[in-house]
Amino acid sequence: MSLAIHYVANLLLILCLATSIIQSRFLFKIQNYNLFSISQISAIQFLSILVSFFILIFLFITSDFNFDLVYFHSHSEKPLIYKLSGVWGNHEGSMLLWILILVLFNFLFSLSKSSSQKFKEITVAVQSLMIFGFVLFLLLLSNPFNINNENFNDGLGLNPILQDPLLAIHPPILYIGYVGFSLIFSLSITGLLTSEVDKKWATIAKPWVFAAWSFLTAGIALGSYWAYYELGWGGYWFWDPVENASLMPWLSATALIHCVVVLQRRNTMQSWTMVLAILTFSLSLAGTFLVRSGVLNSVHTFASDPGRGLFILIFLFIILSSSFLLFALKSEKINKPSLHNISSRNTGIMVNNWLLISILSVVFLGTMYPLATDLIYNQSLTVGPQYYAISITPIIILFLFFMILSPKLSWGESKLLKILSEMRYILISCLTITFLTTLYFDLFNFTEILIIFLSLILIISSLSSGLNFKSTKVIVKSNFGQSIAHAGFGIFMLAVVSNAVYSQEKIYDAKVGSKLQLDEYIFDFKNIEQEEKDNFNSIRAYLSLSKNGKDLGEFSPEIRFYSDPPTITSETSIIHQFFSDVYVVMNVPQNQESISLRLHIKPFMNILWLGVIMIILGGIITAILNRKKYEENAIN
Amino acid sequence: MTDTVKKRLIKFLVSLIIFGIAILIIVYNLRDNIVYFYSPSEIIENNQTGSQIVRLGGLVESESVVSDGDSIFHFNITDGQEQISVKYQGILPNLFAEEKGVVVEGIYMNDGRFIANKVLAKHDENYMPPEVIKSLKETGKWQE
Repeated sequence: MSLAIHYVANLLLILCLATSIIQSRFLFKIQNYNLFSISQISAIQFLSILVSFFILIFLFITSDFNFDLVYFHSHSEKPLIYKLSGVWGNHEGSMLLWILILVLFNFLFSLSKSSSQKFKEITVAVQSLMIFGFVLFLLLLSNPFNINNENFNDGLGLNPILQDPLLAIHPPILYIGYVGFSLIFSLSITGLLTSEVDKKWATIAKPWVFAAWSFLTAGIALGSYWAYYELGWGGYWFWDPVENASLMPWLSATALIHCVVVLQRRNTMQSWTMVLAILTFSLSLAGTFLVRSGVLNSVHTFASDPGRGLFILIFLFIILSSSFLLFALKSEKINKPSLHNISSRNTGIMVNNWLLISILSVVFLGTMYPLATDLIYNQSLTVGPQYYAISITPIIILFLFFMILSPKLSWGESKLLKILSEMRYILISCLTITFLTTLYFDLFNFTEILIIFLSLILIISSLSSGLNFKSTKVIVKSNFGQSIAHAGFGIFMLAVVSNAVYSQEKIYDAKVGSKLQLDEYIFDFKNIEQEEKDNFNSIRAYLSLSKNGKDLGEFSPEIRFYSDPPTITSETSIIHQFFSDVYVVMNVPQNQESISLRLHIKPFMNILWLGVIMIILGGIITAILNRKKYEENAIN
Repeated sequence: MTDTVKKRLIKFLVSLIIFGIAILIIVYNLRDNIVYFYSPSEIIENNQTGSQIVRLGGLVESESVVSDGDSIFHFNITDGQEQISVKYQGILPNLFAEEKGVVVEGIYMNDGRFIANKVLAKHDENYMPPEVIKSLKETGKWQE
């Protein structure tokens, strides 16, 4: 039985290889094959991977330990959801998921009606060439369907820290984001090959690029939220190499989505758009695979294997060098002379593009510097989070400034004084709010005050630009997505700064019955209990929280002792209030009498996630609105 | 000089200045915020005392962990040749244990003690920090 499945699955992968070769024929000017249409072959390509992915899921659910992958990463007593997430909680399975999304995007694009036949053929061909490379890699170097001849009774289990519902959906979402940029990359290569990088190109690319960006943002946010409650350190972002690896493509993608808009509206910035498209995909590739290859040392890496890093590096090198060579050959042809005024919106967007790339450089240097010193001087070191905070703060201040200004500028020439007078009410009200907040909260740091002030203006001016208030009704304008996302960023920045300033933390060695205090909160340590669960034993502490005599809820932080594989995890307990989270972590008891508890007050966390959700929504809205507008145009 | 060329030049220069300033800030900051990693032998050899924050890694020496209450812990970190006595106040990671790998961050004092403000450990009992593996290999104490 297992052997049959092994063959079927491998045959399906080979079928996908074959279809990819057929699909890439358009690149080599072989056109006389017309048995099936492009979308039909893409459908076969997609189905072959989809079925093999379902086979892998089936193997995990039925716990077939004749397969190496299932043996090493699953366990028969694991709950169903973690058997499922075990499918992509390892290198081979996550590669298959990556390829599944790659073929899915190819299939979806082959169905879309937005581009000419020739354009579609070449795009699908480029995408299929990549699919070929990855499927070959999967078959030869990381085959998920390898079988063993032992008769193992049970598997080795999945790392308990990964046994979390959020981590079950985090990798697929993040991958949709990463892999989405493969299609943007293919579109760019097609644009370069056909020398058609113009308004039409931007109209085709826009919904895809916004969709991919939204998923990438959501993926990063999910990872960050997971770290916030699972790792129990009270933070949501650690400037850890793996986090940085996902932030870098995001920064470049954020620059890219703005360039695509400029290209669509003004037919300019062709070269820069191409550079960003290639850069974003390269960083996405590096992001996934440097993480998976174990080159980056991190708290988030769980499925790593250094041997395979080399293939990815070679692949990355081929993609980078060939695409930049193509770009160098074609950039003269695609560039149209741009005739815009220095005080136009183009300039504002360009400046913020540069600022994003500057942040990207900061993150890149900080991530790569330790790798470089280790290789060259054999000296291990880490870059402290302070480096990022200090380097990025001044850039963020400029960035916020131009984020407020740019949408106010017209695409032609604009008068700065006129904009200033239009914004006078917003400016005055924000100045007043900031002044009052500063007084009320005893804030004296100029940088913090400035960021709060700018964020406030950004929130108000973005929201008011996306909605038109008429006497009786509210009209949603076409830039609604942008205004939601920009306001979301303002809210996010506001929360980040306030959170950094007002977070509090205290560690107690507590006995049952004692009352602990942090700020105005009283923690009443009531009880401690031992429990036995399906796949772990736990010690649970019970505390109740009150403030000024008012009862706010119960904490139940927990320590879990897993046996397969033997691991201990801390489960944090969080009480979410509107303005601040209160957060308790407990430690493995070192002696009988007392237990170490760490108490955190994390203000504005809800507001921070609200900002992030608005950013993601803004991206999705823009992707969908654009779609509609395009379809209307197509009909006319 | 035509108008377009002039505008391009201005744009180029402005971008260059912004980028240049950014890079300067980056490099300046990077130098100030690096945390070096040492093994016990290296830290004694380099005599890295003073106010600089460093990381120290190795194995927790067996039967060296002592608790004072109030979440204060004393333990020794060894690489097989030298050991350093570490004092730490806070919550120890779940997988902190004797004869397991550990990395601490803090200050190496003049009297030869290490005051840690962070104890780093991963959530996997077989995990060994790569730096610790490297230093154990150098002292010949590493066993596969």
